[in-house]
Amino acid sequence: MLKPRVNMTDFVLESVDSVGHTFISIFTYTAKVLLMVYLSVRAAVYDQAQGLRTVLTVVSAQVYFTGFQALPLISVLALATGAVCVLESMAQLQLLGQPSMVGNLLITIIIREIGPLLTALIVVARSGTAVATEIGNMRANREIEALETMGINPLSYIVFPRLVGGTVSVVCLAFYYNIVALFGGFMVATFIKDMPFSFYSDLLANAITLDDIGMFLLKNTFSGLIIFVVCCHQGLTVQQSAHEVPAMTTKAVVNSIIYVVIFNLGVSMAFYIHQLKGWGLL
Amino acid sequence: MSIVNSIEFKDVTFGYKDAQKPMFENLSVRLPVGENILISGDVGQGTSTFLKLLAVVHQPQDGAILINGENTSQMSFEEFLPLRTKIGYTFDYGGLFANRSLLDNMTLPLLYHKIFSFEESRQRGIDLANQFGFYNKLGERPASVTGGLRKLVSVLRTLLMNPEMLVMDDPFMGVDPQNVARLIKILNDRRESGEIRHLYLTSRDHNWPKQLGCKTLTLNDGHFDLSEFSEAA
Repeated sequence: MLKPRVNMTDFVLESVDSVGHTFISIFTYTAKVLLMVYLSVRAAVYDQAQGLRTVLTVVSAQVYFTGFQALPLISVLALATGAVCVLESMAQLQLLGQPSMVGNLLITIIIREIGPLLTALIVVARSGTAVATEIGNMRANREIEALETMGINPLSYIVFPRLVGGTVSVVCLAFYYNIVALFGGFMVATFIKDMPFSFYSDLLANAITLDDIGMFLLKNTFSGLIIFVVCCHQGLTVQQSAHEVPAMTTKAVVNSIIYVVIFNLGVSMAFYIHQLKGWGLL
Repeated sequence: MSIVNSIEFKDVTFGYKDAQKPMFENLSVRLPVGENILISGDVGQGTSTFLKLLAVVHQPQDGAILINGENTSQMSFEEFLPLRTKIGYTFDYGGLFANRSLLDNMTLPLLYHKIFSFEESRQRGIDLANQFGFYNKLGERPASVTGGLRKLVSVLRTLLMNPEMLVMDDPFMGVDPQNVARLIKILNDRRESGEIRHLYLTSRDHNWPKQLGCKTLTLNDGHFDLSEFSEAA
């Protein structure tokens, strides 16, 4: 039966209480995830038994699955987004009388914004779910406990190589995405405007700056780290039963996307505020 | 010289998440060491959970488990590692890696801790598999073999680590009698040679533990009846 609200004060207090609880749970979750990054790096450093060969085996498997096997999907999306960006921007810039700005627009949209976000979303969908499910099932099947009983630290054996492999894969995949998207843009530019490759590449070369490269590396490196640490964390929260795995995987996907989007948004905002300040507009 | 000299549970409280009441509440017991001990109790009394606490697979929510007088809950993974590699634990079920072959499952800890070379580790695994008659199954994954064989592989993996203290959760369940007899012979041989100094196990079938000369500790309502043990001893 619904509890009748006595007065407005109770309602306000309940709302404040609920908001407070939400903030505390978000803060706790974030702290746990950050702690896992620290603990897994620490475990890998202190683990005397784990050789480089063991780490590299898992890292290479992760790079193969997350990076190499995602190439066809990334290629299709990159070609399509690159082509659409050029198609739309050329039409709009023509109206504004600035068709040569297409290079700047492509660098801004593809390298700084869409590239990191789209790559992250694909990695969450393909590999984040796989990692969360794999670790969740390992937990349900007592494989994680078995590792501990054998003196093998799951943080250094399971989590750390996945963080490294995942992060490397995301950066490489985003780089590949950018190349293919810009190539897709070139194909459309050639088809519509008969633009020669030398002119197109000059536009891009003149537009790209060190800031763009810095932003690319910052966004993609941390997106990779966020995705894999959140997914590993969710996988490890499975307690006793394989029935918990699907729910945990869904949570891993949702949380990864939220954290990645907020992080990308934060970096973009910080960058543009800094840029506007530099121009004296703020 | 023995690495484990004393084991004491001091006011240990432990319960599973969502359980109505804790499995153990203020459990205090000084466990006999250097013996073969069967932890006995009716279903639901927490014998398996007790073994998990003993092997430090679970940590108590309150109280302390002291090994050689040191509180294991306060030790980091690295600090506990020297003891960990000398305490062998076998699960009642599960614990094998689903994406690895039986041979890889058996040799993983040997290779990880660099106890033997790759070739030597594999040879030891193959020798044991030959001895227990499942050499032809070594390349298969756990999901494609019987539960009894999975249990056997789990026990053999622990034995390959040459532990000083062995904690086994119902190790004979589902294993064919011929292999149980082989296992008991190995355990008795290792006890006699002093390789295994402390053995704690649970078993639904009490005939096999008798062949190991086990003394019985009975769990009842989350506590041990030690008077019964001293009589048996």
